[in-house]
Amino acid sequence: MKFLVTKDLAHSTLLTTLMSAVVFAILLYIALDVVLHAYVIGLDMDSIKATLFGDEANFVEPILLDSLLLQVHIDLFMTLFAMLILSSVYIRLYSKKALTKWIVHLLFIFGLLAPVVLLLAYLAAPSLAMVWLIIFVIWHLLAVVVSIMILKKLLFK
Amino acid sequence: MKNLALYKIPIGYMLIYVVLILASGLWLFLLSQGLDSSEGVLHTIQTIMHTPKPKSLHSFIEVAAPHLFAIGTLIFVVAHFMLFSTKVSQKVSLVVAMLLFALALFNIFSYLAISFGLFVSGWIKLVSLLLFVLLFLFLLGLVAFSL
Repeated sequence: MKFLVTKDLAHSTLLTTLMSAVVFAILLYIALDVVLHAYVIGLDMDSIKATLFGDEANFVEPILLDSLLLQVHIDLFMTLFAMLILSSVYIRLYSKKALTKWIVHLLFIFGLLAPVVLLLAYLAAPSLAMVWLIIFVIWHLLAVVVSIMILKKLLFK
Repeated sequence: MKNLALYKIPIGYMLIYVVLILASGLWLFLLSQGLDSSEGVLHTIQTIMHTPKPKSLHSFIEVAAPHLFAIGTLIFVVAHFMLFSTKVSQKVSLVVAMLLFALALFNIFSYLAISFGLFVSGWIKLVSLLLFVLLFLFLLGLVAFSL
């Protein structure tokens, strides 16, 4: 983050290209993360419920706590790094906009809530499965929008 | 921090994320040692002390490899924010960060000593894990204090 923040590199073509490349990589990561969660958890209510709570009719066992917690552990780590990079670049480019502060807050809050709510849905409140799906979709959409805004500013200024 | 008001937001959230990563990591470790709803955390810790679960070299490497990368990167990212700090000296930050790297390695490789029979008791893993988590929380505290 220190390298992204420093003003000494404000007009560096290398830094602009590097920032574009890393944001593009994060954009691809966000897209593939949706696909990964579609496979592991499911992205419609029937498959989410079958994964978390099992499906007796089809002899599907609920996911083990170890497996779900490992996914949550990895999600927190990956989200943290993706959001740190994305928000650093975004703040650098859009620091004068009034909305920037709130967009950064929302990115981190939704990114944090998604794994926590998924775990809560599994452990205590099955009704939260729907909430997880909504939060998961919102934070991925928000991250895509922020990535596109960054790329637009970097590549078409 | 020097005139970087907006950057305090991601740094602040990073502290919460890291606490959750540490907590979920601890929970995963206890689950791998037999923690379940019928027997509590204390019983699991006693089990680790007396008879830690045997682990093959394959299982050890499966856990150690991603953690060497992930913990190393996480310590670097968290500790590098101390470069911006005007409240904590860089010398203190350096000592804490280096000690944390050493404890991370000790923590990761301690189970290898158990797997190869150098230690019968699991105390070495518990002590290294406890020290690592406490020192990491201390580093997070330093970053929070510097915000």
